[in-house]
Amino acid sequence: MTRWFLVPLVLALVAVGPLPADAQPKDTLTVALVSHAPTLDPHMHFERVGILVNINMFDSLLHKNARLEYEPSLATSWKALSDTQWEFKLRKGVKFHNGETMTPDDVKYSFERVLDQKKKSPQYGNVRAIKEIRIVDPETIHIITDKPFPLLLERLVFFPIVPRKHVEAVGDQAFGTTSPVGTGPWKFVEWKRDQLIRLEAFDQHWRGKPPFKHLIIRAIPEIATQVAEMKTGGVDLIRNVSADLIPELRNHPQTYISSAPILRVHYVELDMRYPPFDKKPVRQAANYAVDKQTIIQKLMGGLGQIVATTVQPKAFGFDPDVKPYPYDPKKAKELLAQAGYPNGVDITLHSAFVEFRPVFEAITQMLTEVGIRTNAKVWDPGPAWNKVLQGEGKATNGYYGSWGNYSVFDADAVLHPLYHTEPGSWIGKWYTRVEGLDGLIDEARSTVDQARRKRTYSRIQNLIREEAPAIFLWTQYDTLAISRKVEYAARGDEWLWLFDAKPKR
Amino acid sequence: MLTVVVRRLVRLLVVLAGVSLVTFAILHVSGDPVSLMMSEAPEADRAVLRQAMGFNDPLPLQFARFLRNTARGDFGQSFFYREPALPLVLARMPTTLLLTVLAMLLALGVALPVGIYGAVRRNSLLDHGATLVVFLGQSMPVFWTGIMLMLLFAVQWRLLPVSGWDSWASLVLPAFTLGTFSAPLLMRIVRSSMLEVINLDYVRTARAKGVTEWFVICRHALVNAALPLVTVAGLQFGLLLGGAVITETVFAVPGVGRLIVGAIRQLDFPIVQAGVFLLALIVVVVNFTVDMLYIYLNPQIRVR
Repeated sequence: MTRWFLVPLVLALVAVGPLPADAQPKDTLTVALVSHAPTLDPHMHFERVGILVNINMFDSLLHKNARLEYEPSLATSWKALSDTQWEFKLRKGVKFHNGETMTPDDVKYSFERVLDQKKKSPQYGNVRAIKEIRIVDPETIHIITDKPFPLLLERLVFFPIVPRKHVEAVGDQAFGTTSPVGTGPWKFVEWKRDQLIRLEAFDQHWRGKPPFKHLIIRAIPEIATQVAEMKTGGVDLIRNVSADLIPELRNHPQTYISSAPILRVHYVELDMRYPPFDKKPVRQAANYAVDKQTIIQKLMGGLGQIVATTVQPKAFGFDPDVKPYPYDPKKAKELLAQAGYPNGVDITLHSAFVEFRPVFEAITQMLTEVGIRTNAKVWDPGPAWNKVLQGEGKATNGYYGSWGNYSVFDADAVLHPLYHTEPGSWIGKWYTRVEGLDGLIDEARSTVDQARRKRTYSRIQNLIREEAPAIFLWTQYDTLAISRKVEYAARGDEWLWLFDAKPKR
Repeated sequence: MLTVVVRRLVRLLVVLAGVSLVTFAILHVSGDPVSLMMSEAPEADRAVLRQAMGFNDPLPLQFARFLRNTARGDFGQSFFYREPALPLVLARMPTTLLLTVLAMLLALGVALPVGIYGAVRRNSLLDHGATLVVFLGQSMPVFWTGIMLMLLFAVQWRLLPVSGWDSWASLVLPAFTLGTFSAPLLMRIVRSSMLEVINLDYVRTARAKGVTEWFVICRHALVNAALPLVTVAGLQFGLLLGGAVITETVFAVPGVGRLIVGAIRQLDFPIVQAGVFLLALIVVVVNFTVDMLYIYLNPQIRVR
């Protein structure tokens, strides 16, 4: 009777065919992401996982190299003609994957597609300021904005150009699922939803052929599974490796680690409308209370860079002369007493930043030690958390979170959402009340004169350093685990620009 | 007989309506999908969308509309995919069903022989060993079993692929993981119901007639012992579908469970509603079939 017991086992072993592990051909690069975007149409989603795939299939007018400097892509040169008008020279003879040559009409169409409100593109808000695309001659277009739009070049780094004739022929639906066509290094082969996207090198790509002939993007939701795939050679590259996994993957015979500081800043936003954080000394005390260096060393694998405010070193407008709050618990206690809390005060802080839960707990413990006795509440990201975040502010004194600037390397991309109080801001409208700050943010927005903007951002950083609408912490690192067969390095913009990936040896 | 069938069918419909109501209610108190869909848009734009999607109507009206559309098989457009929800769910259903059925077969394939052996050779070494395995199996959560099996069979011994759904080999680990969840309980049921019948008079009579032990156990004892097993296996099928949600996430299987988990995170109401409804439908249909099978297997009910 016990023989029955063996049947499934034997079957299982017999069924084992050739395994993907170690058997991968050298011209294939396999990347794991946690999921796929809802569509491959680069204009009809705004998902990080989708952008990472799209950039390898589509080109934009501009590109950024690994040092994050602007580089020509489909535009070979560009200049501002006035505060509201830009000129772009287009690259000649660029081929789409279907063999057609790119024309200015395709560029114009690509913008109009996103600006057409009927198409409901989630990227509409990014380029809303663009009023008109004017074709000047077969190699020149003008982009006209309705007001000065200093972020234009940043937005154009991910603004893929699509072939008008093809899109109109196959329709939006098919373009996003079965027949996406771009000018990028890899062209589309197949998409098995929630499984893999298969791409193949495009022979006529204007940069030349990418080093890997095949590019496969698998969807693997569980990080433990991704790590297991890395160790067995099932995938060559995974993202968002957390601090606890780094030692294991760094020393593994199959994998190495590549890490880069990214445009994501951590902070504890303080609710300035209610006690105790309506008082400046208390907010400053909170900043003196947190030992940032120790947290980075002990809890984040050393991967973090302390910042003075939420404006990051890589963003335009960063002022290195503004210095971070030092760790000074004695000073924190003094300030607290000065604000009328000699015996300390009780507060509640919230967070839905699950991967950094130990960090959150360390911060609240350090606050408690100087007398800001903190009750830490951790939430699941999702609807309930959104309610807390946007709540009337009575239940919360602040929250620990992070901001990724939507990958825009400009001080505005963090200052406006976090501290401006107009209804269109993200969180500042609920938490921040700093006199004069709104006006300064608006002022820096209203010109494309970069020298003037830089001066304004310096003033803003000095102001918020002093007023402390948040506990300023550090910038996060993006950490990749990469197969030892592949040469690649993490980028500061979290892009996976796989044209730069090469087989080793 | 006919009244029994009709009564069961009515109950089936009531359960489905109940499941729909619960899903609908939970989703509608869980937050505002419009805020999530248009997080950066001005409030005025959101209000327009909310109105257009009917979120401003009273909840009973929304539920009535939902029931009417459901009856027509229309669950609406997925907010995230911008495609009709039902085909998105249906496309992933074969994967989930295959996984669940394989897990069920594996569980039965283990539970039947081991359970029977445990009953026939009570207190033998294998019987005690099996009891131990039962406790182990029942106390391990599915995601943990999955990761342990993955580490052993895929990472350590390299016998099977880590994850994916592209070859028969890649079905083995998820099916085993899920099967491990059900096998222990089924094994206990087989063992105890076999024990109940194995000492009854008719079994002894059969033995006395000189029928082979094998035939006595399979033909006489097992058929009678199978009744509770059928019921429990039917119920377990529902649990397995639930377990498939986790298994699919761990092993990156492109099934309905993973789709629903993602949809819950994105407040994609149509996908969640379509997915939960279809899974509920499968569970009630399986249980209905079990009820019918029960009637067939147990003449006492048929006669009554």
